[in-house]
Amino acid sequence: MGTLTDIRTIARWEVKKSLTMMRRDMLPLAIVLFVLLVAVTGFSARSGLHLQDGMYRIGVDDPQVAQLLEGDARFTVYQLDPPTLSANRDAFDIVVSGGIVYPGTSERAGAAEIALERDYAKYVNSVYDNETDLFAAYPLWIDTQSVKSELDFLSTQGGQYVSAAPNRGPPVPQGEVKEIPTPSPTLAVSEDTLRSQLVQSNAKNTQISRYMDVLSTTSSTMGNFETPSQLSPPLPFDSIILVFVFIFPLYFTSQFFMMSIMGERIERKGEILLSTPVKASSIIIGKMLPYFMGMLAICTGLTLYLKAPLLIILPLIPVIVFFLANALLIGMLSRSFKELSFISIFFSTVATSYLFFPSIFANVHVISLISPLTLIVLTMQGTAWTLTDYLYSTSLFWLTAAFLFYIAAKNFKEERLFSEKNLVTRMREFLSEILPQKHPFISLFLLAGCSIPFVFMIQMMCLVLFFNLPMPYSLIGLLLLAALIEEIAKGVGIYTIFVRNPSFLSGRNLVFACGATALGFLVGEKLLLFVTLAQISDSVFGSILFLSLGSLWLPLLLHFVGVLIVALCLKKWGKAGFAPGLAIAMVVHCLYNLYFILGWIR
Amino acid sequence: MKSRNLSIIAKKEFQGLFNERTILLAVLLQLFIALFSSFLMVGLTSMYDPSSLSQYSHFRYSVGYAGNDSEMLSYLQDSRDFRVFKMNLSTAVAALGERKLAAVIYVPDTAPDAQGPVKITLYTLENDLQSAIVDVKLKDIFLQYETYLRQVRTVRITEQPLPLQLPPSNSGDDFYEFVYGLLIPLLVFMPAIISSALIIDMITEEYQHDTLETLISTPVTFTEMIWGKVLACEILVPVQAGAWLILLMINGIAIDNAPLILLQVVVSSLILILLGALTALHYRERTAAQFIFSTALVVVILFALSLPANPMNQLTRLAVGTAGPEQWAVLAATIAIIVVLAYATQRYAERISRKSHSG
Repeated sequence: MGTLTDIRTIARWEVKKSLTMMRRDMLPLAIVLFVLLVAVTGFSARSGLHLQDGMYRIGVDDPQVAQLLEGDARFTVYQLDPPTLSANRDAFDIVVSGGIVYPGTSERAGAAEIALERDYAKYVNSVYDNETDLFAAYPLWIDTQSVKSELDFLSTQGGQYVSAAPNRGPPVPQGEVKEIPTPSPTLAVSEDTLRSQLVQSNAKNTQISRYMDVLSTTSSTMGNFETPSQLSPPLPFDSIILVFVFIFPLYFTSQFFMMSIMGERIERKGEILLSTPVKASSIIIGKMLPYFMGMLAICTGLTLYLKAPLLIILPLIPVIVFFLANALLIGMLSRSFKELSFISIFFSTVATSYLFFPSIFANVHVISLISPLTLIVLTMQGTAWTLTDYLYSTSLFWLTAAFLFYIAAKNFKEERLFSEKNLVTRMREFLSEILPQKHPFISLFLLAGCSIPFVFMIQMMCLVLFFNLPMPYSLIGLLLLAALIEEIAKGVGIYTIFVRNPSFLSGRNLVFACGATALGFLVGEKLLLFVTLAQISDSVFGSILFLSLGSLWLPLLLHFVGVLIVALCLKKWGKAGFAPGLAIAMVVHCLYNLYFILGWIR
Repeated sequence: MKSRNLSIIAKKEFQGLFNERTILLAVLLQLFIALFSSFLMVGLTSMYDPSSLSQYSHFRYSVGYAGNDSEMLSYLQDSRDFRVFKMNLSTAVAALGERKLAAVIYVPDTAPDAQGPVKITLYTLENDLQSAIVDVKLKDIFLQYETYLRQVRTVRITEQPLPLQLPPSNSGDDFYEFVYGLLIPLLVFMPAIISSALIIDMITEEYQHDTLETLISTPVTFTEMIWGKVLACEILVPVQAGAWLILLMINGIAIDNAPLILLQVVVSSLILILLGALTALHYRERTAAQFIFSTALVVVILFALSLPANPMNQLTRLAVGTAGPEQWAVLAATIAIIVVLAYATQRYAERISRKSHSG
C-alpha cells in the first residue's frame, strides 16, 4: 500500500516537473514550429522534393520529345538540331534523334535510359487513356489473387528456396487439393470505372503511394484488375513503414525519460529524492510511469488514427518497456550530454536493426518472429498469431528489460549516481553491485543465468545478419561470433569480482567460481530453450548457437573450460589477461562446436 | 575575438570527446552500418524499387499454366526465366501453396480480336520476397502479350502515341539512382545533423553543470567560448563526411568531385550548427533545446528539399558529375544565410555576456 502511494507521488512530481519545463517559453515556439511544419509539408507536397534534379543530361531534336520530358526534373533537356547533337555526342547521357534513342555507355547513361523508358511508358499510357475503345488500347487485364504459404525453418537450411524443382514433370502437391472455382472471363467492373482508375493511377506517384498504401488497411473497393504496366510487384519490406510510424515516436519519448534521469544526477539534484524514505525501485517506477503511459497513449493514438486493430498494442508493450529500461540505464551511466547523445544514437541504431531486419522476412520465415514488429505486420494483414508466437517474439524483451531494471534499482543510490568515473569502470561497478561480497558463487550462478537472454538477443541479431551471406561464410562468421559472445558473457562476472578483489581468485575459489558460472549458464540456456526457441534450435544454425539439447555434461564441461581459461589468464596477467583469455576460450569453443556438432574435424 | 582563445576552447571540447570515448562510439556506429552495407544495398534498393530485385536472381521459376492455350503460353515457353507446366487449376494452386510453384496463371477462352478484354488471373504468394521477383519477370511476359493483343486490335485505336524507338536491352539499373540520388546525400549530410545536436549538448552542459562562471573568469570571453564550440563541431563534419565517402569508395562506388562535395557539406552544415547554437543559448536546458531543435530541423530540411537546386541536390549532382556553375550560386546563397545567422549568434552571445557581467 505504502509503495503504491510512493509511486503515485513520484509520478505526480515527474509530470509536474516536465510540465513546468514545457511551459517555460517553449510552448509558443513549439506551436509556431508545428504550424510551420504543416505549411512546409503542404509546400513540399506541391513543389515536390528536389533531391535528384538534373542528374541526367539529354539531347533531343524533336520539341515533342522535349515536351514529353518536361515533367521529369531529373533530366536537363537540351533541344538542338541533329548535326550539333551528333557533334557533341559525349556531352549527353542520351541522344534522341529522329525518333531513335541512343544511350551512352556510362553507368549514368544506363540509369538515365531506365528513367526515360518509364517516362515514355507513362506518356504512352496517358495517350491511350483517352481512347474511345478502351479494350483496344488496353486489351489485357490481370486479376491478382494472393495465396498464403508458410515456409518452415528447416527447409531453407541449404540456403535454397523450395521451388527449385529439378524434376521434369509438373509438381504434385502433397497436401489436400482444394477445388478452385474457374475464374470468370469477364471483368465485373464497368468501362468508365476502369478508365477513371487508369487516369488516377497514372497521375499518382507510385514511389510514395506504394508506402502510403501499406498503412491503409482498407483495400480499394474496385477489385484487383490491373493492366500489365500497372502491375507493381508486392512490396516485400512493408515493415520499414511500421518502424517509422511506431518505433521512432517511442524512441523520441524515451529520450525525455533518459534526460529526466540524467537531470537528477546533474549537480546532485537528485539528493533530496534519495534522502526521502522511498525505496529506489519505487522512485524508478514512479519516474517511469508517466513516460510509459505517454508512450502507450501515442501508440494507441497512432493505431486509432490508422484504423488498425488495437491488438497491435500488445506486442508494442514489451518494446516500450525494453526502451525504457535501456533509457534508464543510459541516463544513469553517461557522464555528459555528449555521451548521452552518442550512446542513445548507438542504442537506437542497434535496437532498430534488431526490430527491423527480422520482420523483413514476415510470412517467409519463422525467424522473422523474433521481432515483435512481425506480429504487427501480421495483425495489419489480418493473419492471426498465437500466444506461443507472442511469447516467442517478446520473451527476450521482457526478460532483458526485467534484468536491466534490477541492475538499475540496485544501483540507484548516491555513490553510483554521482560518480564521475569513465563508462567502462561505471559499467563494471554497476555489475559489481549485483554481485554481493557475501555470496559470490550464488551470485555468479545467477548472473550467468540472467545473461542468457542478452546472449540470445545478440546471437539472434548475428543470425539474421549472417543469414544473408552465402552458406560457408555465414556458418564461419556465426561460429566465431557466437563463441566470442558466450565467452564474454561468462567471463564478465569473474572479471568484475577479480577487479574488485584480486586476492579472491585463490585456487579453490577459482574452480568454484568457474563451476558456478558454467552451471548458471547451462541452466539458463536450457530453460529458455525449452520455453521459446525450440524451432530455431533444431536447425544447423541453432545447433551452433545453443548447443544440442541431448547430453548435458559435455556442454557443462565446455562452459567450465571456457571460463577457467579466462579466469586463469586473469590470475596470471591481471586485467590485461582478459582479452587474450577470451580469445583462447573462443578458439576452444569453436573447436568444440566443429568437432561435436558439425563433425568437420575427423 | 582572439583566434588563440578559440582554438583553446575547440581543443578542450575535442579532449572531452576523446576522454569520454564518444568519438569511438560514433566511429563504431559508422563501421556497424558499413558492415551491413551489402545487405543494406540490396535491402534498401528493393525498398526504393522492388523491381530491382530481379537482377539478383538468374533462376528458372516453375509456373503453372491453366485454362486455354494462347500466345501467352508460347511466350512463357520461350522465356529463359520460366519453366511452364500445363496443369489443372486446383492442383496448381495447391502446389503453389506448398511452394512447389512460383506462380499460377489462368487464361480464359477469349479470342485475341474479341470486343471485350482478355482477363488473366494470376495467383502468387502473399508478401514474399521471392514472389516479388517472379512478379517482375512475369510483368515482362504480360507486357509482351499486351503488345501482341494491341497489334491485333490496332484498327480500333484512333490516336497512336508518338513513336520512340528504344534500344532492345538496357544496361542500367535502379541501383545507380538510389545510391547517388538518395544514399550519398543522406550519408554525407548525416554528420551535419550529428554536429548540430552536439553543439546543443556542449552549450547546455556549461549552463546545467554551472561551469560557465569558471570559464568566464578566465581570459576567454563568452562569445569566444561559443565560437570555439562552433569551430569544434564544424571540424567534425568534414572528418565524418570524408570517412563516409571513403567507405563508399571502398565499397566500389565511384564518387566524382569529392573535395567539392565536402565543401558544400561543410558550408551548409554551418547553418544547422548555428541554429543549434542559437536554440541552446535561448533555452540553456538540453531537453527543451533538443526538442525544439529537432522539430525545427525537420522544418528546415523539408523546406530546403522543396526548393529546386538545394544544397543536397548539389551533392547528388556533384557525385554523378552533372553539377553546373549554379553550384557556386547555391554556395553563395548558403553563405549569405550563414552571415545572417552568425551575426545573430554574435549579438545574442554578447547580450548574454553583458547581462551576466552586470547582473
